[in-house]
Amino acid sequence: MPQSAEKVLDHSLLFREPEYKEMFAKKRADMENMPAAEKVQETADWTKSWEYREKNFARESLSINPAKACQPLGAVFAAAGFEKTLSFVHGSQGCVAYYRSHLSRHFKEPCSAVSSSMTEDAAVFGGLNNMVEGLKNAYALYSPKMIAVSTTCMAEVIGDDLQSFIIGAKEKESVPQDFPVPFAHTPAFVGSHTTGYDNMLRGILEGFWANAEVTKNETINIVPGFDGFAVGNNRELKRILDLMGVEYTILSDVSDQFDTPSDGEFRMYDGGTTLEAAKNAVNAKATISLQQYCSTKTLQYAKSFDQETASFHYPMGVAATDEFLMKVSDITGKEIPEELRMERGRLVDAMADSQATLHGKTYAIYGDPDFVYAMARFVLEFGGEPRHCLATNGTKPWAKKMQALFDSSPFGAECKAYPGNDLWHMRSLLATEPTDFLIGNSHGKFLERDTGVPLIRLTFPIFDRHHHHRFPVWGYQGGLRVLVTLLDKAFDTLDAAGLEPGGDISFDLTR
Amino acid sequence: MGEVLRSKTAELFNEPGCAKNQAKSEKERKKGCSKPLVPGAAAGGCAFDGAKIALEPIVDVVHLTHGPSACEGNSWDNRHAATSGPSTYRLGLTTDLSELDIVMGNGEKRLYRAIKDAIARYDPPAVFVYQTCVPAMIGDDIEAVCRHAAEKTGTPCIPVLSAGFSGKKNFGNKLAGEALFKHVIGTIEPEYTTPTDVNILGEYNIVGEIWQIKPLLEKLGIRLLANITGDARYRDLAGAHRARVNMMMCSAALINLARQMEERWGIPYFEGSFYGIADTSAALRTLARMLVERGAPEDLLQRTEVLIAAEEARAWARIEPYREILKGKRVILYTGGVKSWSIVSALQEIGMKIVATSVRKSTEGDKERIKEIMDDPHMVGSVPAREMYARLANDEADILLSGGKTQYVGLKARRPWLDINQERNYAYAGYDGTVALVAELAKSLSNPVWEEIRRPAPWEISADIVPLDCGPQSRSGLGEA
Repeated sequence: MPQSAEKVLDHSLLFREPEYKEMFAKKRADMENMPAAEKVQETADWTKSWEYREKNFARESLSINPAKACQPLGAVFAAAGFEKTLSFVHGSQGCVAYYRSHLSRHFKEPCSAVSSSMTEDAAVFGGLNNMVEGLKNAYALYSPKMIAVSTTCMAEVIGDDLQSFIIGAKEKESVPQDFPVPFAHTPAFVGSHTTGYDNMLRGILEGFWANAEVTKNETINIVPGFDGFAVGNNRELKRILDLMGVEYTILSDVSDQFDTPSDGEFRMYDGGTTLEAAKNAVNAKATISLQQYCSTKTLQYAKSFDQETASFHYPMGVAATDEFLMKVSDITGKEIPEELRMERGRLVDAMADSQATLHGKTYAIYGDPDFVYAMARFVLEFGGEPRHCLATNGTKPWAKKMQALFDSSPFGAECKAYPGNDLWHMRSLLATEPTDFLIGNSHGKFLERDTGVPLIRLTFPIFDRHHHHRFPVWGYQGGLRVLVTLLDKAFDTLDAAGLEPGGDISFDLTR
Repeated sequence: MGEVLRSKTAELFNEPGCAKNQAKSEKERKKGCSKPLVPGAAAGGCAFDGAKIALEPIVDVVHLTHGPSACEGNSWDNRHAATSGPSTYRLGLTTDLSELDIVMGNGEKRLYRAIKDAIARYDPPAVFVYQTCVPAMIGDDIEAVCRHAAEKTGTPCIPVLSAGFSGKKNFGNKLAGEALFKHVIGTIEPEYTTPTDVNILGEYNIVGEIWQIKPLLEKLGIRLLANITGDARYRDLAGAHRARVNMMMCSAALINLARQMEERWGIPYFEGSFYGIADTSAALRTLARMLVERGAPEDLLQRTEVLIAAEEARAWARIEPYREILKGKRVILYTGGVKSWSIVSALQEIGMKIVATSVRKSTEGDKERIKEIMDDPHMVGSVPAREMYARLANDEADILLSGGKTQYVGLKARRPWLDINQERNYAYAGYDGTVALVAELAKSLSNPVWEEIRRPAPWEISADIVPLDCGPQSRSGLGEA
């Protein structure tokens, strides 16, 4: 029966009713001009062949389902981690609507950002007026403590000079002279959101640190990088550092901004690195980045103030967390407390409990370069094989680094890294050389449906599952979370197979 | 900045079908019809976004975005436009321009190769190529590339001149209509025609809504020749010029298309909506009347009345049990375009009170309608999040109906919220859809979490908690049946 007043059917069942099926069939017959069903099936099968894979990898001018976003998205994310900071993206306005939706859908939180709304006139005459007008309005409407300016492609193609524009806007009293307006050029046709994060963070630090009188102290700075799990991860990070008794400043902490409570108060801005702390961070003895590919320029800048620098690849799993803690301990002279040692032991214990389930399982992994590296490393730790590792925004040096990781373990023998490829390439990989699991984000669900490889969502963006980002994946505790996620998928897959005819032999109570 | 784009813009702003535009002086008209954008205020989408969402529901073609990867990367597959067949439209294809392409001017070559590759790979009936800011600024002539590619491959390539900076989302809808009129509609003759062929313009089959309308039309013997563009195939659209009547939805987003189809093929059009019971009935009546005026059998009118009477009775009977919980409940409606009035009447039908409705992206016609149907037409433009929050927190409304970007503001104000934009998971069109909307509203209002969210922590002593008067009386918001 169609949707009826007597019984409202859920959307997922509604359109499977016979009336609708008939309607669809008619449409197909009348309008699609499709060849015979066998031919369609044959072609569909062919797209999963080796021959097609070769043709697919020969693609030059066309990107299909790229797994990356653009610089300004990263810039908006980085700016959101500072106290009462409003992102102001200079250029055409549609881009900003996309960033807001993107972050809102993932974090399930409001996301504020504004645009200078440049139009055709601005494209011809330059966007100075939009900057003057825009800063004035943003300052008046949203009372931020800082406005972080980034750019869209449009402003970059005509070459708007942000620095002189901002000076000009201040002369015209759009905002007070001493009001912080850091900026970064973030063209989308260069790099990806990780590049934009780096550029904006450096821009903000330059705004605070330029010409600073440095008096060294014992604190360290931490750069988390672009991270969809920042809400859970940053809190875990703070817990660990507090346990160690380290004095630290997190440079861009979005954990409160993207996780405000429902207690009857609306917070357009919440938490974040205070401007005072950002200013004082110049005096730190070291800056440590948790994601190298999100922070190359920022670390260079920190180095220029005689700070020690170190960078990691998304510290997930045992060895990666060990390295991070030891480095922090090394720089600060603080001991790693017993409590963390116990947590480590528990993670190792859990991995040992479940090693039989995960041993030898194969994985395809995609996402940002740091995440893919971390995930592959963790998988190798419990005897899995990260066969296909793909990062659309990965570079050749990243692929080399991945190869070195594979070479470090016998389980890496058949693994390969794919820098710069997209999810349509991944489809070919999964079709020709299927793995047991696919690790990625929500966009992977179509790969899962096409190739039958079960998807595990562990990286940004996750639009079709709720609240994953509230739990950490970093550190020993985070490692547990990742482990359980992988195990759940493994057992669910096993049990689903048990429902098929003849499959109940291994449909067991105890796993 | 092509001459082409500029003249196109001027032409689109000079829309004779639009009464408001015709009332302006020559000088006023030159300025165009979109309100100047306000830099530094939160902003909506751009022309590319508008064009893309208007055309993306064409399910069997390839949609190729010419520009840096993020225009497509950020918007790829982000609307629940449903398909009953091919899912080619859900792929995100882009030429992914790099800095080097821009500096060296390789854009056109790259686009041509990408079109060829996409055709070889998917063999679609057509390729839609979207212009974005960057290629527009460096002067890539996508019309010439499309022409050339179509000659070489034999597959129609449709250029959509949708540079983001050319205007807002609404303007992009019109650019999409322009591309359809210029390159698609009228290029294929339908296999047969009937005296009751109609098109619907500006219906995007969000979560399958057109499928709730089609059966109604079929019961009346009306053939939906082309739904532009929800669940459309290229062939539907190409043969749409043989319809007898056009129904225009979605805030006159495609008014330019409706008008040009009338001028060229003599197809009369009217504006209607399938949200709410009264509007659905009105739309069916108007369709029937206009078809009969153009020579369809007379009995269509009576048959329409019979169907309306039966459907309305059925829907009202079902809505009855929900009245109690929904009666007098106050709503803030924060959406855009056509929903700003069509949902208003749907909600008023069931006895709810509309405190405010937003008119962002709404046309003058939309606003007129709101004035007609609301006793106290409180229209708001773009409301900053903080203000929206304040209104909700001050107990000005019981529930917020909006889209994804605003939903969390509602939650922070501890008010129930229902999604009525493209991310929603229920189809609300037609008689059955209205019942579904009512059921969802009742569910949302009666969820126990609102009680929970408004109760302070037990160790806090607080005096100013306003109790919700719609606590969980039952699971569905109905008396236990």
